[in-house]
Amino acid sequence: MDKINIICVDDEREVLESVSRDLAYFADMFNIEECESAFECEELLEELDAQQEYVGVIISDHVMPEKSGVELLTEVALDNRFLGTKKLLLTGLATQADTIRAINNAKLDNFLEKVWDPQELLQTVKELLTEYIVEKGLEYEDYIEKLDPPTLYRLIK
Amino acid sequence: MIKPYLKYILPVVLPLIILLLPSDSFGIDGLTLVEQRVIAIFVMAALCWVLEPIPIYATSVLIIVFELLLISDNGLWFATNGHPELQGPLIKQSTIMATFASPIIMLFLGGFFLAMAATKYRLDVNLARVLLRPFGKSPKYVMLGIMMITAVFSMFMSNTATTAMMLSILTPVIALFAKEDIGKVAFALSVPVAANIGGIATPIGTPPNAVALKYLVDEYSVSFAQWMVIGVPFVVVMLLIAWILLNKLFPAKTKSIHLDIEGQFLKTPKAYLVYVTFASTILLWLLGGAHGMSAYVVAMLPVAIFSMFKIITKEDLKNISWDVLWLVSGGIALGVALDKSGLAANAVNAIPFDSFHPLVLIVGASMMCLVMANFMSNTATANLILPLVAALGASMTSLVPFGGQVVLILAVTFSASLGMSLPISTPPNALAYASGHFKNTQMLKVGVIIGAVGLLVTFAMLFLLNKLGVVGI
Repeated sequence: MDKINIICVDDEREVLESVSRDLAYFADMFNIEECESAFECEELLEELDAQQEYVGVIISDHVMPEKSGVELLTEVALDNRFLGTKKLLLTGLATQADTIRAINNAKLDNFLEKVWDPQELLQTVKELLTEYIVEKGLEYEDYIEKLDPPTLYRLIK
Repeated sequence: MIKPYLKYILPVVLPLIILLLPSDSFGIDGLTLVEQRVIAIFVMAALCWVLEPIPIYATSVLIIVFELLLISDNGLWFATNGHPELQGPLIKQSTIMATFASPIIMLFLGGFFLAMAATKYRLDVNLARVLLRPFGKSPKYVMLGIMMITAVFSMFMSNTATTAMMLSILTPVIALFAKEDIGKVAFALSVPVAANIGGIATPIGTPPNAVALKYLVDEYSVSFAQWMVIGVPFVVVMLLIAWILLNKLFPAKTKSIHLDIEGQFLKTPKAYLVYVTFASTILLWLLGGAHGMSAYVVAMLPVAIFSMFKIITKEDLKNISWDVLWLVSGGIALGVALDKSGLAANAVNAIPFDSFHPLVLIVGASMMCLVMANFMSNTATANLILPLVAALGASMTSLVPFGGQVVLILAVTFSASLGMSLPISTPPNALAYASGHFKNTQMLKVGVIIGAVGLLVTFAMLFLLNKLGVVGI
């Protein structure tokens, strides 16, 4: 079974822990990674790529010191190695200009506002992960119990 | 339970032991080296398909490669330079490689083209929308409609794609059911059940049927239309039984159901070409001999037309289920090896099968097939059991009063599609189970009843059709 990662990026430790807790549902089948900055995330991406692991979803905060979430996700969007990786921006402090750049440059797949509803976050990641797995042509049968059935039915041909 | 590492060790060790045993230890007189190697390949295939240490289509490729290495005229040096008496006849490399492009594979490729074009031009969803309309709003009849349409589609499309499409239509409807209404169990189960059953109706409905075609040749050959004459009534009877069963077990409390399928038929020239080609191909298949073309030749027409007009593009070509085609190729190659090496005939002569009652063989083989199909891939099951059954059928004269080899092969093939009691039994089952609307015990109950009843209906129907002179000798 291929290793698929879900990466969470936030400079606040508590937020990071809280996101991981909300995504604990995936923990037995997917790798949930926590990064405290965009730089840490970049390093992790290099490492995962070297191990030929898949990056299914990146959930990132926007306002972080040194490098913002939108900048990080824009780089990922332009990187051929992470084609198809789903990008979710989770932020309470994005200006309209940030949001425009996030959509145009980082090609966001989803945008959630802080404070988020844990159920909504879980459902969104489920859908994004299902899309990623089917679009990448990975064996969806292996992960089927954790995926979103309606999305699966819509995408399988 | 078997230890996890055994599934990797057994498929390597057991075939090796068989290869190294002296050739007189098998109880078959005059067993040649080639025949002994065929036994080893067969055992390897069986273990790989049952234990699944590698993907099932990879096992098929492995069969073909081992046949090329060990029993072909261009194989490894030590495998081809034995004493001709001991070694036995080698099989031509072109014969083994040709299994990748056998007419049966081409028939399936044609079916894939039709299905892909139908999906791409939304013929499937639009037909479903129109065909579901007359079934009204009563849950009972909506379910009947869904089952009939699922079954009809799965005759020409893959059972998995049909299931996914119908479930996506059903998802919003099931969501409206009250939480404690067990009617949603019936709805969620009706789709995979109908898809599994529907595949039986045509030669291209499901891969086990393709494997069966390999053994229905010469005087036993069954045309596309003849297959449907047997398959369609069977599917109709089984659908009605399944419908009644699901309604009895899980009656819906909801009074009215409204299916909302958006869309309209595409009206571009390309779309019309798809509709016309789809309809004419099926018509040509049904007409059988009237135009001189075999079903295999007809299957190439949509391939040519859809490629020419870019209805199936370069990108679409990549999405063809090559794994299914290879899986069937491996089964055909296994049959070729058993037949051409002489092993099938030899082994059958060595065991006194003629003393068995022919019904024991028909019932026994079908039951074994049904049980195996519940736990492993239906196609792999057919790949393993059909060559053995065909060899037995050919040698048993006592089988003739019961319709001969044809009846035996059809009974076993139908049973391969009736294995549907577990989520792992078939991909449609796995997809429906993922919806979370029913428990696996509920699927088990329905699957076991339909499997058992299905076997009885198969026997009754083949017996009747044989007496009427429609099928068999």
